[in-house]
Amino acid sequence: MRIPCPHCGARDAQEFTYLGDANPKRPEGMETTEAAMFDYVYQRDNPAGRLRELWYHGAGCHAWLVVTRDTRTHAIEAAEPAKPTKAGAAA
Amino acid sequence: MSTQPFRLAAGGLVDRTQAQSFRFDGKRYEGYAGDTLASALLANGVRLVGRSFKYHRPRGILSAGAEEPNALVELRAGARREPNTRATVAELYHGLEARSQNRWPSLAFDLLSVNSLFGAGLVAGFYYKTFMWPAAFWEKLYEPLIRRAAGLGRAAPHEDPDHYEKAFAFCDVLVIGGGPAGLAAALAAGRSGARVILCDEDFRLGGALLAEKREIDGQPAAEWLAATLAELASLPDVTVMPRSTVYGVYDHGIYGVVERVNDHLPVPPAHQPRQRAWRVNAKRAVLAAGAIERPIVFAGNDTPGVMLAGAVRAYVNRYGVLPGREAVIFTSGDDGWATARDLAAAGATVAAIVDPRAEIDAGLMAMAGQIGARVFAGSVVSSASGGRALDRVTIRDASGREQSIACDLLAVSNGWNPTLHLTSHQNTRPIWDEAIHAFVPGQMPAGLSVAGSAAGRFSLAQALEDGARQGTEAALDCGFAGKAELPPRKTDLEGIALSPVWRVKDGKGRSLGKAFVDFQNDVTDKDVELAAREGFKPVEHLKRYTTLGMATDQGKTSNIAGLAIMAELTAKTIPETGTTIFRPPYTPVAIGALGGHHRGRDFRPTRLAPTHQWSQDQGAVFVESGAWMRAQYYPKPGETDWLTTVNREVLAVRNGVGLCDVSTLGKIDIQGADAAEFLERVYINGWKALPVGKARYGLMLREDGFVMDDGTTSRLAETHFLTTTTTANAGKVMQHLEFCHQVLWPSLDVRLVSVSEQWAQAAIAGPKARAVLQGVVDPQYDISNEAFPYLAAREITVGGGIPARLFRISFSGELAYELAVPADYGDAMMRALMAAGEAHDICAYGTEALGVMRIEKGHVAGNELSGQTTARDLGLGKMMSAKKDYIGRVMAKREALVEAERPSFVGFKAVDPGQRLRAGAHFIALGKPATMENDEGYMTSVAYSPNLKHWMGLGLLKNGASRIGERIRAVDPVRNGDIEVEICSPVFVDPEGTRLHV
Amino acid sequence: MSDAAMKPGWTPRSAWAGILSEGSFGAKGSAGVIVTAREGLGIASLIAPEDGEAALSQAVKTRLRLDLPTTPRIAVLAGRALVWAGPGLWLLVTEDRTGFADDLQALSGLAAIADQSDGRAVLTLSGGKIRAALAKGCMIDLHPSAFPVGSAALTSIAHIGVHLWRAEDGPNGAVFEFMVARSMAGSFWSWFSASAAEFGCQVTIPRACHVGRG
Repeated sequence: MRIPCPHCGARDAQEFTYLGDANPKRPEGMETTEAAMFDYVYQRDNPAGRLRELWYHGAGCHAWLVVTRDTRTHAIEAAEPAKPTKAGAAA
Repeated sequence: MSTQPFRLAAGGLVDRTQAQSFRFDGKRYEGYAGDTLASALLANGVRLVGRSFKYHRPRGILSAGAEEPNALVELRAGARREPNTRATVAELYHGLEARSQNRWPSLAFDLLSVNSLFGAGLVAGFYYKTFMWPAAFWEKLYEPLIRRAAGLGRAAPHEDPDHYEKAFAFCDVLVIGGGPAGLAAALAAGRSGARVILCDEDFRLGGALLAEKREIDGQPAAEWLAATLAELASLPDVTVMPRSTVYGVYDHGIYGVVERVNDHLPVPPAHQPRQRAWRVNAKRAVLAAGAIERPIVFAGNDTPGVMLAGAVRAYVNRYGVLPGREAVIFTSGDDGWATARDLAAAGATVAAIVDPRAEIDAGLMAMAGQIGARVFAGSVVSSASGGRALDRVTIRDASGREQSIACDLLAVSNGWNPTLHLTSHQNTRPIWDEAIHAFVPGQMPAGLSVAGSAAGRFSLAQALEDGARQGTEAALDCGFAGKAELPPRKTDLEGIALSPVWRVKDGKGRSLGKAFVDFQNDVTDKDVELAAREGFKPVEHLKRYTTLGMATDQGKTSNIAGLAIMAELTAKTIPETGTTIFRPPYTPVAIGALGGHHRGRDFRPTRLAPTHQWSQDQGAVFVESGAWMRAQYYPKPGETDWLTTVNREVLAVRNGVGLCDVSTLGKIDIQGADAAEFLERVYINGWKALPVGKARYGLMLREDGFVMDDGTTSRLAETHFLTTTTTANAGKVMQHLEFCHQVLWPSLDVRLVSVSEQWAQAAIAGPKARAVLQGVVDPQYDISNEAFPYLAAREITVGGGIPARLFRISFSGELAYELAVPADYGDAMMRALMAAGEAHDICAYGTEALGVMRIEKGHVAGNELSGQTTARDLGLGKMMSAKKDYIGRVMAKREALVEAERPSFVGFKAVDPGQRLRAGAHFIALGKPATMENDEGYMTSVAYSPNLKHWMGLGLLKNGASRIGERIRAVDPVRNGDIEVEICSPVFVDPEGTRLHV
Repeated sequence: MSDAAMKPGWTPRSAWAGILSEGSFGAKGSAGVIVTAREGLGIASLIAPEDGEAALSQAVKTRLRLDLPTTPRIAVLAGRALVWAGPGLWLLVTEDRTGFADDLQALSGLAAIADQSDGRAVLTLSGGKIRAALAKGCMIDLHPSAFPVGSAALTSIAHIGVHLWRAEDGPNGAVFEFMVARSMAGSFWSWFSASAAEFGCQVTIPRACHVGRG
């Protein structure tokens, strides 16, 4: 596969590490219940089709990316930095 | 010339001025440059080249290309021996050596061909049915027997001495196949300015044009070919790669190509690889791989001398070789008739043309008359015979009347299958085209289009037109508008009418012998019938039950016939029966080529510390630690075993001073206004209160509550920290911290960068450490116990102004420091410390001694940070802050992770101090049997303590912490160990830690 | 630090010591690949704070007269280069370390700065066959149309992280700078020397770099 890194351009998938579904959000704070954290750590959908997933460009720019990929065809619809860019930054 | 009795006096593309001698089964022959092994063997009248896989039947040469199922040989000798090489694509070179396979004791007389006589027992499913019982017989009896009898060739007995490479290429348009369609496509795309790569598996470009006598624009096709190749060579962004097979299509325009750089030479020239595996990244690709001719299934169709009609033309026209002198043609379409014409023109007798069609084109009939060939219309060849060489065929007409004709060559044609394998590598299926009686590409992988015969457009005119159009469109897709319109080419006429006959059944109730569907795996039409009878009707079942299409040729000549026969047996159409789908590779690829540079020492990168040369100069023995080479111990002359050396090193540190490289630890520079807050969230313990100039031990968990890594972090300034990781986890921790920073808490101002490579770092440990250090630290820095206490961490200078970082941290439990200098000075630092320590008998020590001392102190390391332990398990539960949230906090409190029964960290010593402990031993209560139910944990680390003069162990034991003083057994069934041990504190030496603070 | 103050025995050892040797290897004839060791460079990583990129950009413009590249490119002037190294991250690379500390001092407070001068091993690679040699491991398209002068990239070659950029063309055409982690210099050279051998390779180690070799 080739992943279109928004910083580096299209790169071979060998340069990246896969993490998985990008949708679960970490429950923050001292009030977090074990059930909520359990869902965050373990519960994943496994859709046949469009999935937003996290990839780390470890052999490139070290950016964590959210890649929208079709799990059936590997077609990649989008790849964006996981870290939101603040308005006003030069990049 | 007399040495090549079947070589034509003239013609063909071989170079008659370059004779090349070669050996086949030890016998010497001669061929010419431009031959394949197959053409050279045929030129010498060698028909019998191998024995078949299952029945050991004599086999000859069927084809003239990559589809060859029969003519598999062992090429080369010794370490370069390569089994299962197709003689039809092996380029001849002077001195080539080849041996036939699957025969014993000789090719002509093969004892195991009795398999053929008792063949009734070896039908489809035979292995599954016969060798099932008793199970114990499989390993000892059946498998060795089958392996000896079958097997395809022998692997080389030694390591491959040659070099292989991987390589990466990028282009706009990849053209796959260098026949007329591919050349036209490459030319069209190349002229537009696109970057083009043209790959062809052959050593000579031209494809079908090389095998056929054709005309383009009224001129011999060779002229068009030469002009096209010359123009391609003149285009700077066009790369033509002969001897290069595109073997696979992968996601997003990636194509696997294997280039046989030097397979045509006995030994690759110096500095050159034998093969190169390319990964080609193409924006667009055009598949122009041509087509593969189909045989017909009839009795004795595997007799040497039965060949594909198109292959016969290739041997005659390209190689100047007559595959036989008395030929019969058996063809179900017009195309086979061209073979009769070309054979006659080359001087062979064409005794008969057999065509199952009742009506034959008048022009073809006239041609047959001219060459004196008898025509048997509405007839079939019902059997071929002759054993090791064809001598006779039987022809059966529509009424069932049979007659036999003597011949030494039977050219068979049953139409062509588009070479569409690559189009289905992305799991898209081909579709049946009734008009041409063949599968054609269906849905295509993104970016790939198909031209010419590979698309089922078989005529030369179509190939040229199609190629030019596909090449132009592909370039256009990449943003290159065609500069020159390619005019349509006028070609001579050719017949493509076809009425395929899939198999010729036995007549009048008698069996004529075996009729093969799959030559390489010895699958007959009877096997397909059996599969149908036993219910293995779906195509995937048929394949697995009969092994049809599963050999190294992957059924290139057999799959469609197998499908067609199953369709007939089940009264379905071919498309209803199923389609064949292909996976990479198209033809076999050597593992060596896929591995490339990465074998032996270069299997993966090796990392060397900046102090490596110094360690080597000290005589270090190195050990692999992840990718790093670390000094394990430093034997002195006269020390014959490692334990003696390690004991000396440990005692030297505890009683004096030692020096150890710790450069391999991961070092992460963390800066930013929120750096302390960030550390609070990733470590279980607190950081905000850590003063500037101090270090602290930290433990981080994974989000699931298990320990990830540990190490010290120093606060260099209010917003500047330096975190260290274990050697093994440096990369993983960096990735984790980047995740936390970028994904979890992007709003924190924290900036991370690895500085692992910048700093060489050494541990100076032992009661005399300070005295040694004072010899290298610049005098303005006070490192007295008062000014630089335990856990101090500061930026200093050494050696007269070299920037350095000094940390008073200790893994050994002694007074100890870690000194870091820029890596260029790492070597000098070690030498300077050794010089400064000479008066104190300083001793270099390695990871073994380091390990002994950490076990003496009960410090956890890699064996304990196994990914299955919690902070609590390791006795570090008290570090877990209750005042803040951090990664892993919630999940670490899960019921099962905090229950008392859970194995926790304790020390062990043998009740008999003379006994050796073993890591990996399991704890079983005294008097209980050593079973899973009685397992109470295991020993994680052991070492011999030269201070205590006995072995010590660390381990995880149920309720461990509350059982100090109890006795238990350490059972090690693998090494027959069963030792009574006492449970003790994991801190064996200086439990009060007084030595740290001196 | 001043070299004069340094005590004897503290001889620096370069990242390429014991790995590179001057001269030619591989195929005979004119060298298709030319290697020049780069030693004594000043290298530092600069990471701008989230909303501080404009300020850093202004500062490098003022002090170094360089434009901070915001895409994978380099900016070069008078022996100094700013190399894009990821979002918000740059390497300042200077030909030598004279004035390097002053440059870093001038930028302190505007970026998280870490000296990396000793942690990287750098080679200048050129020659008529350099792209063919690099193709044996480099997964980046280095064709002039895809990687013009001034381009930079971070990638992996032979499982080794590589930071590379294309300098101004030289007499033999394209010139590439390759930077790898110091610890992997030996493994990188093992791959590169095997890849370049068929084209003939000439290695030059500038005089300044002989310091500390052996």
